[in-house]
Amino acid sequence: MSQPTAVLGVIGSDCHAVGNKIIEFALSQAGIHVVNLGVMVSQDEFIDAAIETGAQAILVSSIYGHGEIDCNGLRGRCMERGLDHIVLYVGGNLVIGKREFGEVEHLFKEMGYDRVFPPTVDLSNVAQCLKQDIAAAA
Amino acid sequence: MKVVAIDIGSTWTKGAAFSVAGDEVELLARATHPTTVANLADGFFEVLQTVVPDDAIGRIRRGELRLHYSSSAKGGLAVAALGLVPEVTLEIGKLAAQSAGAKLTQVFAYRLTRADLARLEEMPPDILLFAGGTDGGNTRYVLANAEAIAASALDCEIIYAGNRDVADEVAALLAGKRLTLAANLLPAFNEPDPEPAREAIRAVFLRAIVRGKGLDRIVEATGVEPLPTPYAMLDYVEAIRTQVPGWEAFMLLDVGGATTDVYSACDSTAEPGVVVRGLPEPPVRRTVEGDLGLRVSAAVTAQAEPATLDAALTRAGLSAEVFAEAAQRRAASPEILADSEAERWVDIALAGLCVAQACERHTGRHQPVHTPEGEVRVQTGRNLKTVGKVIGSGGWLGRQADFDPRPWLAGRVLDARGRQVLLPRRFDYYRDEDNLFPLLANLARACPRAAARAGVARLKQ
Ligand code: B12
Repeated sequence: MSQPTAVLGVIGSDCHAVGNKIIEFALSQAGIHVVNLGVMVSQDEFIDAAIETGAQAILVSSIYGHGEIDCNGLRGRCMERGLDHIVLYVGGNLVIGKREFGEVEHLFKEMGYDRVFPPTVDLSNVAQCLKQDIAAAA
Repeated sequence: MKVVAIDIGSTWTKGAAFSVAGDEVELLARATHPTTVANLADGFFEVLQTVVPDDAIGRIRRGELRLHYSSSAKGGLAVAALGLVPEVTLEIGKLAAQSAGAKLTQVFAYRLTRADLARLEEMPPDILLFAGGTDGGNTRYVLANAEAIAASALDCEIIYAGNRDVADEVAALLAGKRLTLAANLLPAFNEPDPEPAREAIRAVFLRAIVRGKGLDRIVEATGVEPLPTPYAMLDYVEAIRTQVPGWEAFMLLDVGGATTDVYSACDSTAEPGVVVRGLPEPPVRRTVEGDLGLRVSAAVTAQAEPATLDAALTRAGLSAEVFAEAAQRRAASPEILADSEAERWVDIALAGLCVAQACERHTGRHQPVHTPEGEVRVQTGRNLKTVGKVIGSGGWLGRQADFDPRPWLAGRVLDARGRQVLLPRRFDYYRDEDNLFPLLANLARACPRAAARAGVARLKQ
């Protein structure tokens, strides 16, 4: 199989730019072709980029605490626009305040994300999972 | 150096002979002849003979005289653009077509339907610009569209500038059609590259489209090939931007009978506190509006949305009935001249509507977005707010000493969706009174710097 492609960006009105660059670097090092859309990316921009580049995955970051609002509905929108089998990941500081991570993970999985990551995640593990999930979805 | 420049427009064929020494341009002779629609070469040779009476063709052939010429006759160059996502490859396809001097006749995204193909078959463009997918990206839609085109009766030039991974398959599918392959206009997602597609459009224009219009006789006689007029104009705008100090940012407007062209040159660095979204903007851009014009398109132009129209009528002192009737009359008989004060105001109101709407469509937007930290403005498209110079070119705007675009643009602060329109706010207005720009754009093929400086020096304020 050729190099997997993933679209990356920070969703909504979120301007936190540092983690985004680190993820791009780490995943590229791990052999994933990353299409990085930067910060303040709308749901449709993620999907536009995924369609044109034929990406197999979309990786959404939300750092500023509004993830619950911004990330909801992306799965449905992907289906609506013809991305039936795309892998969706989300990570960052997904909700405001202290909440059990298991609870947060459940919340985002309900929204249709395949995997949910806390800020402390090891990005080389993420790359491993991503390759497996892409292979399984194909 | 002696240079002859000729522009074959839809109504007039204009020409001039120039003498160029260093940056100095001297206008030696000018001539105009009605465009000979049956065979464009006739009017062309009349004009050539007038500006250089003595053995022009021999001197061109011997290299003693340079010739550059352009044509926008017979409706110009009609291009239909087919992309994948509207905001992505279709948008770059539109950009490539418009900067190649074409008029966009139809646009399509995602999968071509039977109805889309029927529309194309019914009104075939000169060229279908077919794109979609980054290199290594989407192939599904592109292949489906290639199959659909192959199965259709569509008969026009086709340029494929999509995902190169399937270029061979597309070529095989479209083997029965007149196909040209160009490099992908979006090789990687954040790196649009419209230039090869623009170049392919120019090459197809020369090879295929020139033939039907009598231009081939000129090519045969002179050994020189024409350019689409707006193609030459876009490069001229770029020459002015790079060669004339103080003109790094400006706009150029041309309101014609059927279309309104807007060119802009600007710097694309974002203001502080602004996040730029969407595809990167090129330093110079042309857009052309096929529904805005003073004659053929007058009736459509006069159907502006109510607020815009009311403001125009008030400014011109016209009643809605008089204006609508006068606009319809112009669309029915494009040769009409405005011969009374009232008729002149009709033209002014039409021109104002063309300028205001064409500029608004050309320009980018700022959308306020509320974030936890406060308001952030998201910019899409070109920011022309600080552009301080606007040129009125083309026959009508060039001549109208009493038409001022400023009040017409001043009202366009927010668009229908409440976003700020990034139009110039305070600018000087200049006119290309002698309508020399299309000729200087041709001269610029030979000497861009001298032609750019001469054009700016001749502007009237
Ligand atoms: C620097 C910073 C800013 C800068 C950002 C500058 C810039 N352009 O980047 C400024 C001052 C602008 C800013 C503004 C705000 N910030 Co701030 N900011 C920070 C700070 C101090 C560091 C962020 C950072 O760069 N971290 C380093 C990177 C490497 O980590 P990261 O972003 O978390 O990303 C990593 C992981 O999360 C993970 N990851 C992220 N996404 C994904 C996705 C996937 C799929 C995967 C697998 C992994 C993954 O991988 C990344 C790389 O290791 C944090 C506090 C902190 N220590 O984290 C607060 C913080 C993120 N900000 C916060 C807030 C609330 C704000 C504001 C709303 C208000 C404010 N007053 O600060 C505004 C929002 C502005 C906006 N519209 O986005 C909160 C968020 C609270 C929450 N989510 O619960 C934090 C946590 C501070 C806090 N404890 O309150 N901020």
